[in-house]
Amino acid sequence: MTINAVTRIIEERSRPPVPADGAWPTPRVYPAPEFPFRGWQPPSPSGYMQSAGTPSESAIVIDSGASTLKVGWSFDKKPRFLIPPLLAKYKDRKYNKYCAFVGYDAYADATTRGQIRNAFESYTSVPVNWDVMEGILDYTFIKLGVDAEASVGRPIVMTEPVANLTYTRRMMNEVLFEAYGATSVTYGLDSLFSYRYNKGVSGLVVSSGHAATHVIPVIDRKPQLQSCARLNWGGSQAQEFLLKLLRLKFPNFPGKMYMEQMESYLKQFSYISTDFQADMSHYLDWAGLEAGNDIVIQYPFTEQVVVEKSAEEIARQEERKKESGRRLQEQAAKMRLEKLIKKEQELEYLQSLHQQYLNAPTKKEQRRILDDEEFKDEAALERAIRDLDRKIQKSRNKDLGNPADEETLEEQLNKFPLLDVPDDQLDEDGIKEKRHQRLMKSGVEARIRAKAEKERERARIAEEKRLDEEQRVNHPEDWIAGRRAQRNALLVKIKEQARAKADSSNRKGLASQQRMKTLANLASDGPKRKRRGGGDYDDDFGANDEDWGVYRTVATEPASDDEEPEEDAEAQLKDVEKELLEYDPTFTENDTFEAQNDWTKSLMHAFLRGALPGPGDSQREDHQLHLNVERIRVPEVIFQPSIAGVDQAGLVEIIEGIVMNRFNNASQQQALLKDVFLTGGNTLFTNFDERLNRELISTLPTEFGIKVRAASDPILDAWKGAAQWWSGSSSSERAAATVSRTEYFEKGSEYVKEHDLGNSVSPAYG
Amino acid sequence: MPATPQPEKDDAHQQLLDQMDIYYVKKAFRSPNWRPSQRRNKNIKQIVSEAQRREASVLATQNNSGASTPQPAASDGSATPQPNMAQAAQSLSTLVLERNLQKAANASHSPNVASGPGPAVTYTNIESAPSLYAAKKHYCDITGLPARYTDPKTKLRYHNQEIFGVVRTLPPGGPDQYLAARGANVVLK
Repeated sequence: MTINAVTRIIEERSRPPVPADGAWPTPRVYPAPEFPFRGWQPPSPSGYMQSAGTPSESAIVIDSGASTLKVGWSFDKKPRFLIPPLLAKYKDRKYNKYCAFVGYDAYADATTRGQIRNAFESYTSVPVNWDVMEGILDYTFIKLGVDAEASVGRPIVMTEPVANLTYTRRMMNEVLFEAYGATSVTYGLDSLFSYRYNKGVSGLVVSSGHAATHVIPVIDRKPQLQSCARLNWGGSQAQEFLLKLLRLKFPNFPGKMYMEQMESYLKQFSYISTDFQADMSHYLDWAGLEAGNDIVIQYPFTEQVVVEKSAEEIARQEERKKESGRRLQEQAAKMRLEKLIKKEQELEYLQSLHQQYLNAPTKKEQRRILDDEEFKDEAALERAIRDLDRKIQKSRNKDLGNPADEETLEEQLNKFPLLDVPDDQLDEDGIKEKRHQRLMKSGVEARIRAKAEKERERARIAEEKRLDEEQRVNHPEDWIAGRRAQRNALLVKIKEQARAKADSSNRKGLASQQRMKTLANLASDGPKRKRRGGGDYDDDFGANDEDWGVYRTVATEPASDDEEPEEDAEAQLKDVEKELLEYDPTFTENDTFEAQNDWTKSLMHAFLRGALPGPGDSQREDHQLHLNVERIRVPEVIFQPSIAGVDQAGLVEIIEGIVMNRFNNASQQQALLKDVFLTGGNTLFTNFDERLNRELISTLPTEFGIKVRAASDPILDAWKGAAQWWSGSSSSERAAATVSRTEYFEKGSEYVKEHDLGNSVSPAYG
Repeated sequence: MPATPQPEKDDAHQQLLDQMDIYYVKKAFRSPNWRPSQRRNKNIKQIVSEAQRREASVLATQNNSGASTPQPAASDGSATPQPNMAQAAQSLSTLVLERNLQKAANASHSPNVASGPGPAVTYTNIESAPSLYAAKKHYCDITGLPARYTDPKTKLRYHNQEIFGVVRTLPPGGPDQYLAARGANVVLK
């Protein structure tokens, strides 16, 4: 059985028909965000005044997040200000002074941005740069209006990373107690403060922040830190991943992309897909693209102004061109005329010379005349006269535009009379002339042969065409099969050419290696192998015309235009397809090479340019970013870390592992799963809770009654919880969690108290 | 002069900068005696490795915590001697180390038993483990769509024939960058 039908196994991407009003809606274009500079922030000293009445009761609450530091007073309802933990400190050369800008102020201009340093180690929530940290704390106390001598004079409540390193805590203690003279310091975990603020008792706290995601089980308000886990994925990693993806997607993007922009793209456009596999498969479908899956972001650009020439100007230019052409022609005509005159004078002179020669009295005199002009004999002189005469005739004809009375080749053949005369009837000159005529005659004969050859070729092509036509009429199936085969061969050739072109830059590519081999072969002059039986070695190079093709393969530049151009495979393909369209009923417009490569069918086009038609060539379109699959691909990493190459289990597997393996009591397991609590800025993605709920239900036994809830404000609840804890606790409760100044100096800088909202005591190492 | 507006704008910006600059702002609340150590900025890797070195050297010495020292009063033949806390208190950090080692040894026998507190929680050991399951789904390295195929030459995953064409026409070094985004590139050290 032969296969005579080709079914498509690749799903067809075809654009739905153009709507009735004739135009596609143009997608909304978002401008690229600027750096988050907020301008001058006034201080708010009112809190400090208020706290002055009860200095030991009013604490400064600092939620030191890796993304933003939230600062306020324990009696405030919400933090007074949020600043990113950044410091730009440098010496201004112009004014010869030091500068220090903190938080959003560090984004003021290009100089300050260039000097930005972060207090936290990148992609972790651990502060490592203490000079920066001090600068940030300076700024916060200034803005809080702290006005005391050599001491802040207030308790400080601060958050720290889960399982904080002892060294880090020691450094923070040193700074807070010794540089700022805090009266006491309390450390707590941001996620636990947030959970407390949201009135959680027993549950699983999932806290996904800027640098990491933590899962902490809490039972009866007691955090089970020995069972907590950290996934090294948070907002900062997501931003970096998005930046990486966009750089790969638009490798030649002219605009400048930076992390702060990625943050806003993630906040604005990203969301968690509730069914990632299904959503992803259809994300770039036409329906999806039209539903707004593709987000266009416009970066600043300057449009190149193409000066439109007026018709008048074009006409003037044309005129100028013609004018100069005319001038050239005139000059050439003048030159020709001058030459003609010169030739005529020469002819006159030669004729007079000939006359002189004829009239010369003696042979000696005749000889002298010829020798003076360096003629060998009279015949040479006569020939010179004849040639000149013919030349003059010819150029005159040309000037006057008379068609030269060209003789046909056959006529020319009859103009060699001497050839029929036997040699013995001729004198020496005659023989010479005869030889000359024979040469001329063979030239003419060669031309006749070439002409005949051309004629035959033409006839052959016509015959071929006729046969082809006959074949088409009599055996249409065979004819179509032949044409299809031809088309396939051309497609392969086009592909081959494209590959060769792409491969030419690759030094290790097959094409380059082949070329080097050929070069080496050509360069070695010794014969490759001796012919058996001796004799001169001749490699027959050049006997076959195709031999000369090696020079084409060796040349890196495309063949220069004086050679015949390579037959254009695409043009041939077009011809074949035209015929197929005409005679093959199964070959439709949709099957043509062009239609197959149409942009509406291209997945890459949808990926790179969304629903915008055609290749973009304006500056405006070059400066556009298209976000589509990235919108769900980047947030998905927290569920499938392998997408970004993070070698850790996904969030659902972590939760499953903690609940099922670390707790063997069913009531505890149930208590944990009944309240899965989401907090932290990275959980703000739309559908995060829904997706987690869905996945947990599908993975874990049904009887647990799984419930996922989000914090009322995933970003600020940690601070609010800390403030609420301080203001709502009795002094004994506070004392149990707080290291006072005396305790610090007594027990050392690593001393910390375990409490229900903080870390457990860990040994000296990390 | 044509450039007059520029300095004015510069001036305004400079004034803004001066206003925001906190270098010369009086910080009375700071202790005048505070002199931080010059080498206090360490990254996490340094901190962890230094602490681990210190720990190793402590364990290697004879200087144990003394918790296993028999208590003179209670040594009347009880089978399980209570840890001697009086002795152990002399060297608390060593005690913690010893406990961690003990727990770790126990945990290796029965990982699922969650009775009692496990080893102390540290920054490094709360990091969650690699997944126990093989990755179920693969995604196209170029587009992120589900990928059924892997190019044997570049090891890139791709969605369909068209993307394969793109994979094969990537410039030299291109495939590696895509692999790096997935953490699957080969790094020579």
